[in-house]
Amino acid sequence: MPYLGGEDTVRELRRALSNPNVQSDQLRYRNTILKVIRAMSQGVDVSGLFSDMVKACATVDIVQKKLVYVFLCSYAALNPELSLLVINTLRKDCQDPNPMVRSLALRNMTNLRLPSLMEYVEQPLTAGLRDRAACVRRVAVLGWAKLHNLQPNSEIDAAVVNELYSLLRDPDPVVMVNCLRALEEILKEEGGIAINKPITHHLLNRLSDVWGQCEVLRILQRYRPQSEDELFDILSLLDASLVSPHPQVMAATLSLFLSLCSGLPAVSLAALERVRGPLLAACGSVSRELRFTALCHIQLLLRSLPGLMGAHYKRFFCGYAEPAYIKQRKMQVLVELVNDDNVTMLLDELKGYCTDVNTDTAQAAISAIGRIGRSYSDRCLEILTGLLALKQEHITSAVVQTMRDLVWVCPQCSDTVCLALEGCEETLQDSQGRQALLWLLGVYGEQVSSAPYTLEVFIDGVRSEVSLGVKMELLTTTMRLFLCRPAETQDMLGRLLHYCIEEEPDMCVRDQALLYYRLLHCGIEETQKVLQGRRSDPSLGVLIGRPSEPISQWACSFNTLEPLRQGTVETDSTSRGSPEHVTFEPKPNTDLSDTLNFSLTLLLFLGDEKMEEDYMCLEEQIQFPAIPHCSPQSLQAAMQLVNIQTLAFTPPHTLPWRVYLYTHTQHAGDSPHITLILGELLYTGEANQRAVLKKALKGFLSILTTVLHTLSSERK
Amino acid sequence: MIHSLFLINHSGDIFLEKHWKSVISRSVCDYFFEAREKAVDPENVPPVLQTPHHYLISIYRGKLFFLSVIQTEVAPLFVIEFLHRVADTIQDYFGECSEGIIKDNIVTVYELLEEMLDNGFPLATESNVLKEMIRPPTILRSVVNTLTGSSNVGDTLPTGQLSNVPWRRAGVKYTNNEAYFDVIEEIDAILDKSGTTVFAEIQGVIEACVRLTGMPDLTLSFMNPRLLDDVSFHPCVRFKRWESERVLSFIPPDGNFTLMNYHVSSQNLVAIPVYVKQSISFFETGPCGRLDITIGPKQTMGKTVENMMVTIHMPKAVLNANLTATQGTYTYDLTTKVLVWDIGKLNPQKLPNLRGSLSTQVGVPKPEDNPSLNIDLKIQQLAISGLKVSRLDMYGEKYKPFKGVKYLTKAGKFQVRT
Repeated sequence: MPYLGGEDTVRELRRALSNPNVQSDQLRYRNTILKVIRAMSQGVDVSGLFSDMVKACATVDIVQKKLVYVFLCSYAALNPELSLLVINTLRKDCQDPNPMVRSLALRNMTNLRLPSLMEYVEQPLTAGLRDRAACVRRVAVLGWAKLHNLQPNSEIDAAVVNELYSLLRDPDPVVMVNCLRALEEILKEEGGIAINKPITHHLLNRLSDVWGQCEVLRILQRYRPQSEDELFDILSLLDASLVSPHPQVMAATLSLFLSLCSGLPAVSLAALERVRGPLLAACGSVSRELRFTALCHIQLLLRSLPGLMGAHYKRFFCGYAEPAYIKQRKMQVLVELVNDDNVTMLLDELKGYCTDVNTDTAQAAISAIGRIGRSYSDRCLEILTGLLALKQEHITSAVVQTMRDLVWVCPQCSDTVCLALEGCEETLQDSQGRQALLWLLGVYGEQVSSAPYTLEVFIDGVRSEVSLGVKMELLTTTMRLFLCRPAETQDMLGRLLHYCIEEEPDMCVRDQALLYYRLLHCGIEETQKVLQGRRSDPSLGVLIGRPSEPISQWACSFNTLEPLRQGTVETDSTSRGSPEHVTFEPKPNTDLSDTLNFSLTLLLFLGDEKMEEDYMCLEEQIQFPAIPHCSPQSLQAAMQLVNIQTLAFTPPHTLPWRVYLYTHTQHAGDSPHITLILGELLYTGEANQRAVLKKALKGFLSILTTVLHTLSSERK
Repeated sequence: MIHSLFLINHSGDIFLEKHWKSVISRSVCDYFFEAREKAVDPENVPPVLQTPHHYLISIYRGKLFFLSVIQTEVAPLFVIEFLHRVADTIQDYFGECSEGIIKDNIVTVYELLEEMLDNGFPLATESNVLKEMIRPPTILRSVVNTLTGSSNVGDTLPTGQLSNVPWRRAGVKYTNNEAYFDVIEEIDAILDKSGTTVFAEIQGVIEACVRLTGMPDLTLSFMNPRLLDDVSFHPCVRFKRWESERVLSFIPPDGNFTLMNYHVSSQNLVAIPVYVKQSISFFETGPCGRLDITIGPKQTMGKTVENMMVTIHMPKAVLNANLTATQGTYTYDLTTKVLVWDIGKLNPQKLPNLRGSLSTQVGVPKPEDNPSLNIDLKIQQLAISGLKVSRLDMYGEKYKPFKGVKYLTKAGKFQVRT
């Protein structure tokens, strides 16, 4: 904050401070110092007054002392030499009979934060630890932590640490908590304070004020009870604070509860049920920040107990004046809570949000409807089509993107979607929306009668197109449409390819056009093989109704900043960009695998070179021993051990059963190649022989490695 | 834990900064300003921001941002609650929490912050304890201060810190011993077009003002405690007794405090005190629309509804409103597009009505989102949930205190959709 006339003010203040008449008059002296502090808070540089202020420090007036200390602590770092003068006064104050003066002096001594003064500070601090007034001990304990922060590499004084450990038994609860905090900081290198059984029980029985309680609960997470009896003793002590009126205590308690009960899922689930009330209350709190945080944590809980909030879904309806970030979170929660009874109500509610003034909120509402559409597609599509009639730019864009995502999961909706698409290209402005529209036109080209005309408009405007994504999508769409409606599209495809190869400045687009051009040379069948990849599989059900996760998946991020952060990323990871980016595959010959018990089809290698060739020639099928019907979770877990990620799988006990996998490798050496491998595991159900999962995985692994070897040798 | 605190006003100036560990440059707030810019409305700034080296956790109160800088992973609820506590303390000390008042009392605010946090850890946050260390300014005292030169800083050790009841100081003395309780309930409700309740709940709070000598032990009991769904108490309340007997037993702090918060949610039927008949429509042709609103009492338990006020956020296309009100006055703010109809007392014999035409911008398609009505009201001497205090007993002291209970119902987030 610039402050005009700063220099004059400083000069005037200096004159007043050094005036003996002022100095002798208690009242005037103090008021002058007050002015200095005021100027300081306004951003005036008053560091020049340091020496005058040091003199003002030597006074019996406790108020004046406080004011001067505020000043000194702010400017000490700029004047280390002059600060030495203060130390004497401060040390004298540490002997004062008034405990308040002693604690004040001690606190400010450590707040000066000058390494050069350390030797003078240590002695009063040691004395402070044994002071009879609790408030002095509180300050002294934290003082050691500050001292350690000043010189983090210095030797830790074992005597001090021992003294601090013994002060954990101090009668004053704040001293006890401060000891914990100080030891945590001082012993950071060794992993913090050592927690053993006696300390744990001492701390648990002496839970003090709200803030201290949170601290204690957090530190106790490191403690592992030695026996089951002890564990239950601790749990019953904690039970009362699980429903504490203070949300921060409740959260800290639950966090500790979950970490203690990691081996007892039933107890953890009961704890989650118990915090439902307090969490819901926090969701209705006056403070919007608190509401937000509570919502984020409820989302975590719902991952393990999807039915937890079922009856309370109305609590998550949005008010008109709520901030956008709360509304968006509430909608995410609402999507999780949908069931047969409340779906009508919820959709009506969400429909209302779609016309929200805030475009982000409106788009979030639309994609929420899309999410619900995976289970209740008819009703949702009706709403979505209705929204298109509004002809609002941002709404149309969001609706088209949502439809694209929905169609990928529920191909049976495609008829309705195709009907709705007519005419919405005029309202679409942003690149995301247009990309979605193009993708839909490409995949369902036969069903949309006006598709070639829409495309023609796009192709005519390609010169002025700025978005890279739209251009790439346009190429693919035109190719696809050409395959199913060649007569109408041939001419414009030619124009587009010509433009992209001859004039387009962007390499990416040009390369893609070249690829398609060469592909066309290979013949129409090859092209079809590549472009008309398999459409989504109606039985592919990973994204709908996610199974409840074990609590341990998220327990460690409960009551941290993690759940508040991820949300925005998480919601959209499945919906941004074409679904193809997930399964961009040349058509695998699934019909060949009829006879196999288990087959692995490698779908695609995305290396950094020769992409085009890879597109065409890589098709491999390998036989495996059959995997018995294992649950998707266990398979996923097992796969993750060997760094193979599962993308999607069909629900268990359906045939044919499929799992899509991917993994990527990094070739060590001078050139860091990254290879991405997509694979499909198919089980047709004709297996009679049983084999263990391990074997199959081993096989898979060995195959992957051999494949990798061949790949790397190819490179050389 | 909490490294630094910045206070930022509505227009984005940092007018106070306080560092508890090392000094962090103001430039860390740039990330915040960026988010502030993006959010358009200050209310929409996300409370937690991540920067390469710090986390910024902020709350927005009274048109001010309290922005804390955090360097390590922390419990978000902890920090948010603490920031609210800071704002509460300022409010408690100076009567309001605004930029002007903080600037006027900058020295006291610095002192408060110094006492509330040491090395980033909360130290003294109970307002009773703080008030003994740093006395809150009063008009009389500030006059006296300027004359005698004394200041608001206490020069004795706060005794409360040494008593075994941390929220109450020892040796309290009053000539008039009195205990007042205000039961205040806010109705949060969303009604739909036809007047049916989409969602309704009651947020209640019992504010207490207790001025009693010595160490009194109070017991407050209700006629119908089972009504309450979620409750949260001041730390002084003995939770065990509430769980077993449903009475509030406590040694009260001295002065004003919030005894308990509670919810009565939709499981129990929430009474809606007024009904609203409204129609707001915009014509397809011609630049105008119609508005007609009538309000009448519904379930008021025989009490009068006061301070009625209706606020409508009109669509952007509405240029002006030409209305007549049978009772009260209305204003239409052309820039913010907010229509406010101040009705006052609701007369059941003659229902207030507001009707007339709205002129909209020419050439703009008719607004498709219908505005919703926000309603404000007050009912004295009634807790709409039906909660009643049956008795208050005092143990531990000999004298007879003066006791009083007041009820008040207000509209919280009360909204009617059109």
